[in-house]
Amino acid sequence: MGIQEPTTNKILELRNLTIDFGGVRAVNDLSLSIAPGEFIGLIGPNGAGKTTVFNLITNAYQATSGDILFEGKSVRGVTPDKICRMGISRTFQNIRLFPHMTVYENVELGLHAQPHYSLFESFVRLPRASRAEREARQKAHELLEMVNLEQHANAVAGSLPYGLQRRLEIARAVAADPKILLLDEPAAGMNEDECNDLVRLIRQIHESKKFTIIMIEHHMAVVMDLCKDHRIYVLTLGSLLTYGGPAEIQSNPQVIKAYLGEKKDGRNKRVS
Amino acid sequence: MSNQKKLLIFLGGTILTIVTLFVLVQIAGVGYFQNISILAGITLIATLGVAILTGYTGLFTIGHAGFMAMGGYLAAILVKEYHVPFILALMGGGIFAGFTSFIIGYPAFRSRLRGDYFAIATLGFAEAIRLLLNNVRAIGPIKLGGSFGYMDIPSLNVLCWEWLGSDGWNGVIVVLLFAVGTLVMTHMFVKSQYGKNCIAVCQDEVAAQMMGVDLMRTKMLALFISAFFAGVAGALMAFYYGYLTPGFFMITRSSDLLAGVVFGGMQSLIGPTITSIVLVAVPEVLRGINEYRLIAYGLFFVIVMIFRPQGLLGYVEMNFDFVRQLWRREPAKATGK
Repeated sequence: MGIQEPTTNKILELRNLTIDFGGVRAVNDLSLSIAPGEFIGLIGPNGAGKTTVFNLITNAYQATSGDILFEGKSVRGVTPDKICRMGISRTFQNIRLFPHMTVYENVELGLHAQPHYSLFESFVRLPRASRAEREARQKAHELLEMVNLEQHANAVAGSLPYGLQRRLEIARAVAADPKILLLDEPAAGMNEDECNDLVRLIRQIHESKKFTIIMIEHHMAVVMDLCKDHRIYVLTLGSLLTYGGPAEIQSNPQVIKAYLGEKKDGRNKRVS
Repeated sequence: MSNQKKLLIFLGGTILTIVTLFVLVQIAGVGYFQNISILAGITLIATLGVAILTGYTGLFTIGHAGFMAMGGYLAAILVKEYHVPFILALMGGGIFAGFTSFIIGYPAFRSRLRGDYFAIATLGFAEAIRLLLNNVRAIGPIKLGGSFGYMDIPSLNVLCWEWLGSDGWNGVIVVLLFAVGTLVMTHMFVKSQYGKNCIAVCQDEVAAQMMGVDLMRTKMLALFISAFFAGVAGALMAFYYGYLTPGFFMITRSSDLLAGVVFGGMQSLIGPTITSIVLVAVPEVLRGINEYRLIAYGLFFVIVMIFRPQGLLGYVEMNFDFVRQLWRREPAKATGK
């Protein structure tokens, strides 16, 4: 664990991952390895292909070439729902809650995408079904308490303010009890106070649940804070630019160039 | 809305319904009322099935008459030719209809048909079944009769238990029992973890899949259940009429079912329940201008879609919690403060 990539005991490994959308190569020959329990940051300018990497890991997109290994086994071609049940769950950059369901039901769904009783029992509501529902209810309320949404449990998810919707999405992803949690810009559109709350929440999840977390984020303060003892990967134009600890990344001239562009012959060449 | 107000509306609605029913019986005569009740019960069973598929899972269907036909014909054959008990034949018809739904469901969901495209696929399926039944005169020794119809099916009044009497009410009681049973079962289903998966698929397919919901299984399940209830409804219809012709299962029957759900409301059981009963009763009472109902439906469809796209009672759930809360209203109010 730490600044160097693990050579053994990898929970997730991407090997030369590449995807083309028509003529656009969105992710180019990306390789990385992650050990269990790490907190990985994924940063890069807009359009660098960060979300595409998440979509590849969850198999929402099929890679053009390369391989994804989860706990040593290739998961290419496995459907997204199966990936989730294997233990990779995610949040979305543009929030994708179930808008007409209540807050509680959203979390509950994460708990039982695979129902815990048979279809017949669901029709006649045998004791086992009621018990499974009761257990789910308790777990869901624990999760809501964790993200501080307990008092909104019966509100319709679509009616929540933006910041709370983000928290709810995190709770829903955690409910699936994953081994790897993918957070896609959890702090987007938040002010400093909200960011601090969020950092506290995510750190608490990381420490209590022992998930491996990969996070895409633009708020540098959030990334630097959360990935303190871990690696940050920098993507630009679909390729891996570099990786390393937060201090290393911040002082890396290549990274600064990718983010801010560079002065060349008096012209400002943008790289985003 | 306060609990007292809800109770008032509930009681008022109940009294109004009873009074309306009483007046209808007086005007139309008992026999006529019995027939309408049976038809309403049968339509309700099929509509609740469509509510699960269309209202909760978001898959529009104009083909459930096809599943009604499959269930109806099979149940009729089982009882008439093989003397299977009534209840078993009903279940058999339902399950058979459920399995035939895989014929259309698997390829349609495999190729990710949705919205209008799926609706048209189901329409084609139902028409194919109807035309098939129209042209098949006999299967071995079983004389289906093609377009002339399958005759001499034992009727509800004979099949239903003797102790219920034979003045026509026994058929009503049996059908209404089935209808209420279906309502209770579908209510439990949509509240269950399976039902919630269906709702999730309806609201955001991508998010549902990312949360681990198996899209294929969930959709097939919703289709199977709705086809099952359509099959049971078809079987009851066969025993009610005493004969079946492919003409019973035209596209208008499918669209009647869909209309019940669209008018009644998405993600609601109580809405489709009310509208399906109204949609059966009104054309029957206004027999003379029955054929014009399709024009009126079209108009209603447009009006509903403009002013209330989620349906009249969309997202309104049956909920009798307020009755329970009224019993212990003082503590409930104390905590509310």
